[in-house]
Amino acid sequence: MTLSKEYRLRFLVVFATIVMMSCGGGNSEPSPADNGKDRQVILAHWVDNIVLPSYDNFKVKFDVMKTKADVFKQTPGVPALVEFRTAWVEAYLEWQKVELFEFGPADQTTLRNFFNIYPTDVAGIGSNINDPTVNLNLPASYARQGFPALDYLINGVASTDDQIVMFYTNATEGAKRIAYLSRIVDRMNTLITNVISGWPSYREAFITKTGLDIGSSFGLVTNAYVLYYERYIRSGKIGIPSGATIATGGSVNPDKVEAYYKKDISLSLAQAAHTAARDFFNGKDVITGVEGPSFKSYLDALGSKDATSGTALSVIINQQFTKISDKLNGLGNNFSQQVQNENQPMLDTYAEMQKLVRLLKVDMTSAMSITITYTDNDGD
Amino acid sequence: MNSYFQKTTHAAPLAVFRIALGLLLFGSIVRFWSKGWIDQLYIQPKYFFSYYGFEFVKPLGEFTYVIFAICAISALLVAIGLYYRAASVLLFLSFTYIELIDKSTYLNHYYFISMICLMMIFLPAHAYFSFDAVRNKKVSADYIPKWCIDSIKVFVCIVYVFAGLAKVNSDWLLEAQPLRIWLPAKNDLPLVGWIFNYTWVAYVFSWAGCLYDLSIPFLLSNKKTRLFAYIAVLIFHVLTAILFPIGMFPYIMIATALIFFSAEFHKKIIERLARLIRIPKNVLALNKAYAFNSATTSKVLIIAFVLFLCVQVVLPMRHLIYPGELFWTEQGYRFSWRVMLMEKAGSAQFIVKDSEGKAVAVDNTKFLTALQEKMMSTQPDMILQYAHMLRDYYAGLGFKSPQVYVDSYVTLNGRLGKPLIDSKIDLAKETDTFSHKPWILSFNNEIAGF
Repeated sequence: MTLSKEYRLRFLVVFATIVMMSCGGGNSEPSPADNGKDRQVILAHWVDNIVLPSYDNFKVKFDVMKTKADVFKQTPGVPALVEFRTAWVEAYLEWQKVELFEFGPADQTTLRNFFNIYPTDVAGIGSNINDPTVNLNLPASYARQGFPALDYLINGVASTDDQIVMFYTNATEGAKRIAYLSRIVDRMNTLITNVISGWPSYREAFITKTGLDIGSSFGLVTNAYVLYYERYIRSGKIGIPSGATIATGGSVNPDKVEAYYKKDISLSLAQAAHTAARDFFNGKDVITGVEGPSFKSYLDALGSKDATSGTALSVIINQQFTKISDKLNGLGNNFSQQVQNENQPMLDTYAEMQKLVRLLKVDMTSAMSITITYTDNDGD
Repeated sequence: MNSYFQKTTHAAPLAVFRIALGLLLFGSIVRFWSKGWIDQLYIQPKYFFSYYGFEFVKPLGEFTYVIFAICAISALLVAIGLYYRAASVLLFLSFTYIELIDKSTYLNHYYFISMICLMMIFLPAHAYFSFDAVRNKKVSADYIPKWCIDSIKVFVCIVYVFAGLAKVNSDWLLEAQPLRIWLPAKNDLPLVGWIFNYTWVAYVFSWAGCLYDLSIPFLLSNKKTRLFAYIAVLIFHVLTAILFPIGMFPYIMIATALIFFSAEFHKKIIERLARLIRIPKNVLALNKAYAFNSATTSKVLIIAFVLFLCVQVVLPMRHLIYPGELFWTEQGYRFSWRVMLMEKAGSAQFIVKDSEGKAVAVDNTKFLTALQEKMMSTQPDMILQYAHMLRDYYAGLGFKSPQVYVDSYVTLNGRLGKPLIDSKIDLAKETDTFSHKPWILSFNNEIAGF
């Protein structure tokens, strides 16, 4: 055993402190209920002030889009198309604020699979149009529906708005095409309505499972959150298009960006998603905009900090969120063009996102002691 | 010295120990089986992390259930003392075989049980209050050599003392890590949970745990302090059972600690048991000493036990010959009674390349279970083993002499994570040995202590 003088002294000081504390008790400290370690408070805040209001906001935008889609269905024309498209952009942006809630009802429905799997399957959409009874629940159908399929159907089927309208007014094929468009929108409506209506009955179970083991709400949310950032923001929005992931072999994929056919909103979608992830970390109340119980407040209550620098883990994570925001701000609206013309800023963004993923996935989950398996463990 | 090895003592403590061990192990196997862990841990995984030198121990597919059945039955036979020698050999072999299949399931208490079972093979635990003793008068005895019981006591002392010494480090005592992280996770327990919101509680638990481990074997050995010590054993292990997912371990230690009690105490337990199952008293009082087959057998056994215990003292100190921080490199970490010392987590992204420009980022979940991935990502020797699995797998897919690199990131006891392995090293070319692994990056931090 080797002990420097400094350590011998520190051992002595801590020992003496403990003896005094054990004898004197520690009752002068604030009551534990209000010191931020109560996970039930956080779970309730997540449901009541973030998840449900976000879904409500999304539903408002989605309903507008659905109305515009219905108008377009009744009277296909350029003005109706333009309005539909505008509403689609609005709804797609709002979707970025709820896609991260893939736990509870959304997880049971696997909502994301039916709302935002891209690149969309153009050939598959073609064959689905010809088969109006096709089962849209199957994995093969994931990329033939949701926002990406709508992107193709209202932005990508032809090069001008007149031609797009003609795609739907075509004497022989038009009716089938517009029926599929309408089927997708209706289906999205049914799914999101089910998810929203599933929450009230799930809420009680959600906020009472306060443990940190594999079936607990905190564990579910953390895993869903980290997975979302890693796979659907980092890889999906940036990594795969830019070829930053090895899986892409280093070559760029300009056709795999989000909203490929709309072209100019891939950045705003990524920014909206990134901001939503950050706001969720900080527990920002969707209605008041004020930060509340959250990963951040919990980490702060635990006193999680980097032992070397003494900086709070929540501060380090927020700094990383900021770095990524800065990188995103330097990108163009159209990622498809960005990766072809100047890919380096995309790769740099990916690198910063990778650092954040590690902070969330390793440092944050370890600091919160979230377990991943059921089996016995003696901590080694 | 010679006279010590001539001493005899009553056989009751060893008989009680045998019964308790057999029953607890039987219970452990039933519990393990009923939770579906045989399937989950030994049948489902596609790859297994074998121990250095034990690569021949392979998972057996559905036949694994048979091994567990053999283990459970031999545990019962040991408990009742029927065909004891054969049963104890089978128990040791089957239990140890299971533990050797996959490193990611390593637990110190499994190793403890393996070692205890190994010792039990050679001890006359069936001489008293057993079916063998009833069937075979030659075996039957109520006195056995004193060293037979003392060797178990010494082994238990080694376990506790090294577990205690391992806690004498700055993370445990000065930072109250990792309890400071683990205890607040239990703040939703009924009645007592709120107390874990206080950081000082983690300090008290850390220091108490350390002092407990270092002193308990001696307090148990001393007649005056024994009762107090055993109450401490009960409180300590019940508390750990409530707080941590450590399965049967607390109950095994609670039972094991009984070995320190007097022969009179154990005789009373046996008498109670005998009355319960209506065994006449004269079966128990024989006034006969157990004799090994020959004086040579006895001598060989004594030498073997002394050597075994010496090995047990040296093994936990082998980390001293490795450079670097033990908690970080884990070189010499296992088989050393280092329990609950680290909150360690990591991620490991492997990249496999070849000379023709093929490259792939490995999805660990396609090869490993969640438990295996968790264990692998923080332990250098397992990272190397996994790299070799990947090398062989991708060679099979047509990669020309694949190169394997890992981008690793590990956090230890609340420190901000950092790379564990040199990402520029081609792990496909490195071999696993007992010598220092120079491709483990430096910890650049100090954890002072043993």
